[in-house]
Amino acid sequence: MQISNYLTNEHRECDNHFAEAEKLISQGNWQDGEKKFLEFADDTLRHFKKEEDELFPLFEEITGSSEGPTNVMRYEHEQVRGLFGKMAEAIEKKDKDIYLSLCESMMILLQQHNMKEEQMLYAMCDRVIPPQKKSEVIEKMEAVKE
Amino acid sequence: MFHNKGLSLEQAPPISVVFRFFLVGAIFGVIEGIWILFQGKDAINAYSNTGLVTTHLFTLGIMLSFMLGALFQMLPVVAGVSFKEPVKRAIQTQYPTLFGTVTLLFGLYYDSALAYSIAGILLLIGIMPVAFEMLNRLIALPNHSASSRGMGFAIYGLIFTISLGLVLIAIRSGWSADYYPAIRDSHIAFGSIGWITLLIISVSFQVIEMFYVTKSFPKYISRYLPASIAFITTLLFVISLNSDITSNIFYFVLYLLTAIYSLVAIYRLIKRKRSVNDATVEFWLIGLSSLTLFSILGIIYSFDFNSLSILMAMKILFPVFATSIIFAMSYKIVPFLTWFHLNAQGYFKAPMMHEVINPKYAKIHLYIHLLSIFLAVISVSIPYFWHLTGAVIVISFGLLLVAIYRAWHIYIATEQSGEKFEF
Repeated sequence: MQISNYLTNEHRECDNHFAEAEKLISQGNWQDGEKKFLEFADDTLRHFKKEEDELFPLFEEITGSSEGPTNVMRYEHEQVRGLFGKMAEAIEKKDKDIYLSLCESMMILLQQHNMKEEQMLYAMCDRVIPPQKKSEVIEKMEAVKE
Repeated sequence: MFHNKGLSLEQAPPISVVFRFFLVGAIFGVIEGIWILFQGKDAINAYSNTGLVTTHLFTLGIMLSFMLGALFQMLPVVAGVSFKEPVKRAIQTQYPTLFGTVTLLFGLYYDSALAYSIAGILLLIGIMPVAFEMLNRLIALPNHSASSRGMGFAIYGLIFTISLGLVLIAIRSGWSADYYPAIRDSHIAFGSIGWITLLIISVSFQVIEMFYVTKSFPKYISRYLPASIAFITTLLFVISLNSDITSNIFYFVLYLLTAIYSLVAIYRLIKRKRSVNDATVEFWLIGLSSLTLFSILGIIYSFDFNSLSILMAMKILFPVFATSIIFAMSYKIVPFLTWFHLNAQGYFKAPMMHEVINPKYAKIHLYIHLLSIFLAVISVSIPYFWHLTGAVIVISFGLLLVAIYRAWHIYIATEQSGEKFEF
């Protein structure tokens, strides 16, 4: 399996959770909306952990660069983590306007980040990481819990 | 090797780069409305001097401004192509283009050879260097996305459009007019389809999926459609120089391609995962529906070049398509960039997107836009209504101008008075 396929599929799953949470909360269904939001947040944060703990270090080791794209991706992960906190706060206060406004920012921030990963970083990973190591890193990422 | 420069929005240009182009584009929109308000039906007669002013107010004044702003913003994000000194580069591009456009408008109205010469030089030095640099940098990319590839073809279309435009003003200044109709028709084909439509198509591959969470465009469209459009527009130019070859079939294919794209894009939007229905979705749907109708009429027109009523409808539908997309994009990009740049700098009170531009404001603009379309359609039968259409266009672009200006004001005010985290 290619790294790009594996991680791109995870992006799509997170998108689905996000869209469902947004829909439920826009309809005023806070209980189910919160559940979906938590699934979205958990899956996204686990995905970040897989990248930061397993994929990025391997990529940096092979390319000899820790100042490059992986650094930028880590920085963007931090920006997304910051927004999760604000969205959770809006859910706690049951403030629909603020939640939906934060959804807008989250979606653009996350999507432009995902696109850069899918179109550049993952493609680079698939190119520079040898097949054997590729399978190993996917197994390690599979094992990441939270 | 890695092209990590520009991988982050951090390396995207300062917000002023994008806003300066968008503000000028919106101002030109207001001017276009005033022009139609005073000129009435004369403003719509495409081959008259008055009509040429209307066309170039739209293409150079409005569209080029918004599209250059979008390119400066999106190239670093989607393709990792950024400029070393973006503000300086934007100014070097914008000022000659702005003055070149104004001079050209005077030239077209008064048919002045002197104005044509000055405009030609200014537009050449304003647009060509940045267009060639963008194209070269895109060609050199090791990895292409559908958007970056399409943007490259669109910029190629821009270079062709401007080059042919320069030849046209040389002809209007008294040079040999041997190929005037051929060059004029190619200038129109490149400008409308090969540049404006193709850039919107290429950007949409990325932003429709990004903003509304849709499935990606099918590969046969995202990979091959931009190249096909660029190829056919080039072919149309080559064969137009040889009057023995009929061009109908090529126009037919060109409009068929844009029709296929627009129908697929509408389907993608309708099937989007995000259910929230804001004004930008409706702007997109209006724009794409207009492109569909424009393309269908184009297919019919490609077999009946004498049908003036079809041509008239196409002349209305194309600006409706392009301006609808401009509005859709602006109401997402402007608040996002305002929030993003302030948030990234660590301001505690970075306004949220809905605080920068309230969704209800965009909704009001949507109704005004619909009214302007309705009036334009009525004006075909009752030409006096063009004056009223012009007035509504003033309000429409005026609303966008106010929205962009307020976003800029919020940005500056937060920067000046807001507390921030110290990194």
